[in-house]
Amino acid sequence: MKIYGDLLFILYGESKKEKVVLTRVQLKINVPFDRLKTYIAELKELGLIEDEPSLKLTDKGKLYLREYATVLDFMKRMGLTYQ
Amino acid sequence: MENLALILMEVVSAILCFVLLRFMVKPYRTTGEGRYLGLPLGFGFLGVSYIFMGFALYFESFIFVEDLKWFQLFTQAYAFAFLAATYYFSKKPPERTRLWWDITYTGLVFAAVVSYLVVFEPPMFGLPSYKTVDEYFRLFNIVCLAYISIHTLRSHVSQPDPKTIWIPISYLLLGFAQYSSLIWSLDSSFTAYVGAHFLRLSGLLIFLFVVYKAFYGTREAPPKEVIKNEEAST
Repeated sequence: MKIYGDLLFILYGESKKEKVVLTRVQLKINVPFDRLKTYIAELKELGLIEDEPSLKLTDKGKLYLREYATVLDFMKRMGLTYQ
Repeated sequence: MENLALILMEVVSAILCFVLLRFMVKPYRTTGEGRYLGLPLGFGFLGVSYIFMGFALYFESFIFVEDLKWFQLFTQAYAFAFLAATYYFSKKPPERTRLWWDITYTGLVFAAVVSYLVVFEPPMFGLPSYKTVDEYFRLFNIVCLAYISIHTLRSHVSQPDPKTIWIPISYLLLGFAQYSSLIWSLDSSFTAYVGAHFLRLSGLLIFLFVVYKAFYGTREAPPKEVIKNEEAST
């Protein structure tokens, strides 16, 4: 689950740039390229990201990312480790 | 009158626990990891234990009042055990400990059901006196809360942040509340009894404050911070 959250964070940051370069995303998330493509396909299937015209988060994806970040912050405040 | 105030405190504590329960379930729902299930279970059991105590205080001459007190004792101990287990497993890698947290939580639920049945249907050798068991359970609760307080304090010290100091304080207050109850149980000091209620209520109110800041504190909310930072960097 954590890997999807991390990937959404990275994609959100990257989508602000001119073009999302998958090799840069791969370097940041540190997983093999074929697995990264599988994760991206799964996120697309869930409607959290889209690649038209370029790879970016959908509104649903942004909403999920916000909720995810809020819960991560709550867990940090609670002294819980999430690894 | 004193009794009414104490009943009111039990009711308020129970309500606070159930409000907190609504938020404590979010880490489990968001991450989908069973190890965080101990958080809502812990606060749920804690709320139920206060309800049992409230009933026991309200129906003082009721025939089942002793049973209610026993239920309260078990339920509260399970609540703190669930919370301690959550903190213990939170720092372990999930791949290696998945089976262990499943076994621990299932074992705790099973033990809870068995202990409730024992209260309803006492074994032939009989139960020890409530007062003695109460003291041992208080000690167990103090150990669990001390473990959680140390865990959260260490987490705060490793990454100092003003917003992470409140939770160790609230667990410490809950621990001192248990200690106060233990003192009351040993020497019947009314001050210790009332003090225990106030300490517990203060601890729960701090939890509520933390929940409010995390989910409704708009100015410091990290998602907005993250998004703002991202926008600023482009």
